[in-house]
Amino acid sequence: MRILRVLSAAGVVALLALLVWQVAHRHGPGVAQKVDKGRIVAAPKLDLPRLDLAGRLDLASLRGSVVVVNFWQSSCLPCKQEARTLAATARAWKDRGVVFVGVDALDTKSAARAYLKRYGVDYPNVRDAVATQYPNWGVTGVPETFFVDRHGRVVPPHIAGPATRQDLEDGIKRARESA
Amino acid sequence: MRLLAVLAAALVVAAPAAACAKPASQGHLETLLVCPSCHTTLDESTSPAANEIRAELKRMIARCMTEQQILDAMVAEWGRTILSTPQTHGFDLIAWVLPLGGIAAGAAGLAFGARAWSRGRGGPPEPGGGGGGLSPEDERRVDEALARFE
Repeated sequence: MRILRVLSAAGVVALLALLVWQVAHRHGPGVAQKVDKGRIVAAPKLDLPRLDLAGRLDLASLRGSVVVVNFWQSSCLPCKQEARTLAATARAWKDRGVVFVGVDALDTKSAARAYLKRYGVDYPNVRDAVATQYPNWGVTGVPETFFVDRHGRVVPPHIAGPATRQDLEDGIKRARESA
Repeated sequence: MRLLAVLAAALVVAAPAAACAKPASQGHLETLLVCPSCHTTLDESTSPAANEIRAELKRMIARCMTEQQILDAMVAEWGRTILSTPQTHGFDLIAWVLPLGGIAAGAAGLAFGARAWSRGRGGPPEPGGGGGGLSPEDERRVDEALARFE
């Protein structure tokens, strides 16, 4: 009987430990919520397979450049509305130390690649198959756009919804001015 | 000429069937896969992601891929979380073994506890009685008491 009691107690302790661990490791507010309050925060790790080419792309490898990170999905209508604007803005800033990175999630590769081709998107794009990056960045829907400064920090503004050319220009300028 | 045209038409109709002797069932595949955005099985989801995967399945079936080939391709593209049930080999085997192990451990615990409890009840006899029965003196007194009611 004593062994049963010991085993039961151990089980209860293990379950409690699991609960504490789960609560402690729960995702806090993502980057979006912090940036919306005007804060500048370190960009979450983003290292994903390329959608447009073979290999992977690590956001950390772009340190020293201003990076515009755009979350999208091929079936999303507002994403289609901003796609050509993003592609044109990316081309305009390409030679001035600004890199655009698209993050496609919850999409089939074929649909995503067809989308890139259709809207003339020629900047690097990565695929986050099951949207593992959404909690870290605080993405609640697509499209959403973030601006990362040369030091790898996300700076305001954060654009939720389709971005206009002016939105993108303003964000890039603020990221470039961030010391 | 007419005969040739009929033969050609028959070939066109028969060719895909001949190439795909036993085509994979789209309906069955949709129960084996989950929608990555809403986490229900594909056959219960109308999300854009589910619709895209459904269209992809249709293309794969048209290419005569077997059910296993399609499932392998889906896992390669989405990871194992795309499957609605864990696989019966590798790491996923734990999902099947653990509940059965839990049931076995619970049954063993119950059996052990029941045995210990029954042993406790069959302990030393109470004083003045054998195995819980009445002593001759008590039996006599009970008979006397009962006789008063007759």
